[in-house]
Amino acid sequence: MMLGLEMPTAGWVALAVIQAVVMLLLTPLFSGFSRVMRAKMHSRQGPGILQDYRDIIKLLRRQSIAPSTSGVIFAITPMVLVITMLLVAMSLPTVTKVSPFPISGDIITDIYLFAIFRFFFSLSGVDSGSMFAGMGGSRELTLGILVEPIFMLSIFIMAMIANTMDLGHISLHMANHYWTMPIATILAGVACAFVIFIEMGKLPFDCAEAEQELQEGPLTEYSGADLGFMKLGLGLKQLVVAQFFLCIFFPWGKASSLNFGGLFGATILLIIKLFIVFFIAALLENSMARVRFVKVHRVTWIGFAIALLALVAYWFGL
Amino acid sequence: MSALSVFVLALILYGVGIILPALSEKREEVGVLSGGVLGALGAVLGVISSLMALCTSNTASVAVPTPFVLPDCALNFCGLSALMVLVISVVSLACSVYAISYVKEYLGKGAYRIAALLNGLILAMMLLVVVNNALYFIVLLEAISLTSYFLVREEGSEKTVKAANQYLMLSSVGSICVILAFAIFYVHADSLSFSAFHHANLTGFQSSVIFLLALVGFGFKAGMLVFHRWLPTAEPVAPSHASAMMSGVMVKMGIFGFIKVAIVLLGATHAWWGYVVLIMGCLSAVFGVLYALAEHNIKRLLAYHTVENIGIILMGVGVSMIGIANHHPILAVLGLLGALYHLMNHAIFKGLLFLGAGSIIYRLHTKDMEKMGGLARWMPYTALAFFIGTVAISALPPLNGFVSEWFIYQSLFHMSKLGHGMVIAGPLAVVMLAITGAFACMCFVKVYGVCFSGAPRSEAAATKAREVPMTMRLGMLWLALLCLVLGIGSPWVAPMFAQVAAHVAQVSTITVTQGALVVPATNQQAVLSTPVITIALILLLIVPFALKAFFRGVRLSRETNRTPWACGYDYEERMSVSAGGFTQTMRQMFAPLYRLRVWLDPAPTLMETLNKIPSVGSRRLEGMSAYYAYALIVILVVLLMSIIGVK
Repeated sequence: MMLGLEMPTAGWVALAVIQAVVMLLLTPLFSGFSRVMRAKMHSRQGPGILQDYRDIIKLLRRQSIAPSTSGVIFAITPMVLVITMLLVAMSLPTVTKVSPFPISGDIITDIYLFAIFRFFFSLSGVDSGSMFAGMGGSRELTLGILVEPIFMLSIFIMAMIANTMDLGHISLHMANHYWTMPIATILAGVACAFVIFIEMGKLPFDCAEAEQELQEGPLTEYSGADLGFMKLGLGLKQLVVAQFFLCIFFPWGKASSLNFGGLFGATILLIIKLFIVFFIAALLENSMARVRFVKVHRVTWIGFAIALLALVAYWFGL
Repeated sequence: MSALSVFVLALILYGVGIILPALSEKREEVGVLSGGVLGALGAVLGVISSLMALCTSNTASVAVPTPFVLPDCALNFCGLSALMVLVISVVSLACSVYAISYVKEYLGKGAYRIAALLNGLILAMMLLVVVNNALYFIVLLEAISLTSYFLVREEGSEKTVKAANQYLMLSSVGSICVILAFAIFYVHADSLSFSAFHHANLTGFQSSVIFLLALVGFGFKAGMLVFHRWLPTAEPVAPSHASAMMSGVMVKMGIFGFIKVAIVLLGATHAWWGYVVLIMGCLSAVFGVLYALAEHNIKRLLAYHTVENIGIILMGVGVSMIGIANHHPILAVLGLLGALYHLMNHAIFKGLLFLGAGSIIYRLHTKDMEKMGGLARWMPYTALAFFIGTVAISALPPLNGFVSEWFIYQSLFHMSKLGHGMVIAGPLAVVMLAITGAFACMCFVKVYGVCFSGAPRSEAAATKAREVPMTMRLGMLWLALLCLVLGIGSPWVAPMFAQVAAHVAQVSTITVTQGALVVPATNQQAVLSTPVITIALILLLIVPFALKAFFRGVRLSRETNRTPWACGYDYEERMSVSAGGFTQTMRQMFAPLYRLRVWLDPAPTLMETLNKIPSVGSRRLEGMSAYYAYALIVILVVLLMSIIGVK
């Protein structure tokens, strides 16, 4: 019998907060790792793995300058991005078997917290008054429309398999009965991985070598400490979506209670898992051709088709 | 004092609120003021009475004797009716207060008429939801159509009158379907009271015919897809507070009527009815928001969003009907809970957004979003209220739009586990709802961004924009406050909706709260706590602020005096992103769906046929004359039926 969900105790909340803050502190490590990987694949020397720490610390020390056309939304967005991602990070069952903070651990709530991120990120672009930032915001939202159905459907199928909408319990179910519906699980996993790859802001959808202004998107007008927080928020989102994927489809090796040994081992394992995800993402990213943005939907429909196949497989109980 | 007597007092106030302004043609200011104040007082009483009725939850009904040969007019004030009175009252409170300043625009152009008509519309709606008799129901439905028709054509230009005539025509087609549905009931129940309809002895085929007639008839009234044509044409030309009333509340009369007929009177006996409603809901939601995205006219855009939200409400109703037909009481309550919650939420944030749009129009005198821009600087209160409405309608946590959509998601999940076709229908509906959410997000980034952000995009926006008068601000802030209360206070609000939903579906109620948590009947499926999420988000601000403080060093304070980057050229205001440009890629990607709009819409063909038939000699019948003809025909048919004794 499945346990009900309740308000977490103080210990669990403390773990959730520590987990979120640690993720925030690890963010530059993983974005630095992506940069190292890219440099290696381009056969260049490239920066060191800690370069992003140096960049962000430098930015945080600098003055923020905003265009005179910008408003309140532009000013608060960096903070909003960081706190929404921290809230999702709190709910992820990454080192424990169940979610340490199930209040925000419902999959619908999580998906809509990602929506807050996207909403403010794009709106800040429009709010700056810059045309490039505005276009970047438009692209971000268009991409959101294209990936949302795939993301929702693949996660929803996993929720149906686990018979609960709670991320922690889905993860628990997957850890205990992984092969109840193997084909549906694998297909949903492929569709979800596809979404995660896009949500991590990877090629071929994000045009890394396109016009500098367009590539920056809503970041165009940010500077100084504000830019530092924007970068932290974006990096944290990469980390969070990667773990979102991991805790549903690779839920092994996590602590079942709050003891130091178990948590420590689980954390080490988690970091290894994350490096593997970022490694694969970097391999894919740097070996793919880019697609014109208006043709992106032709690619994303394939992802949706895979998710639909997963639904059909679920229907037949495969 | 009982809830019912307070309610009757509210009705009397509205009655006076019609008469006083109507008599004050010479001194319009007095008329406008008295209309607004009486309307607001009536609304306050309406809120009090409905809350009293919802809290006590005992059936309060009274039979009002009538002097004619007409049947007695029984009022039934409980459950769903009380909830609808609450919805009407909270929005009309805002609109009445707002109107006191807003209608000054129309002084000398019929401001007193607008004040009287608005109170008339509200009074008719308040009565419609409580009467327990089909005859009065139809009469009041017509009263709503007519008052709103006159509100729509108030501006008087040729385009306005055309839109109003089209609205009246389509509304009448809806009315005819409703009358036919009630006629079938009457023939079998031998009485016009709803209590008798409830026990009418109908065959499966007959009840299915009634269901379809009600779906089409109330579909026209609610602006469901394919019957939605009047929404984006008629609403934008009405005065903005009237649009808020129509789009926020009046279309809900269609939903109310549909729930009344399909669930209360017919008992939702067939599962396929539920599927039909669910499919119509999904289509309305997706197409409504898709068409909204392509609009530049702010009020047309909001009107299309009404189509979308009606779709979301219908999804909940459909799920509930499937639950009732398949004898799953939890599903029945959960779906209807989501639907009713969203009904209330949509009334509030759509009312808010229309009032916000009205405030912009009040200053700039344009509805074209391309001519706005940068208004947040000059109209901070309007911008704040509008932003809250924007976040609420985009269903972002922790505001009210999110909570009701969350319940609908939970009901769809619950449904997906029950086997049969529901395994496929549930996830597909979830996908539709998710796409709708993503589209709405994009659409409202566009609306807020293009209207309130960046640089002014026209001369008018740069020079005429300034904050609107106090009463208009109060109206908007009241609704914005409700968005917060209904969202963050969800654990304390949800049980009320659950109780009403259980009452309507005639099953025992379900657990929806657990301390400060909201749960979908069981806490194993999911939990949500908007108050805790709000507190967590606020507390988490400590983390970035601590980082900021730690690295403060010699950092200079923030400056906002530079021009945006324009690749080295001089920045100009018109370089900022336009409403059209913002959605251009998206419209290109979904071009085939936009093409559907042309041949999916029966309205032009319908209008053509309707325009052809009633032409007397060289004079075409349209607008009121067509309406008289329609009323005459209906009366003749009824008389004929009573003469030949159809029972």
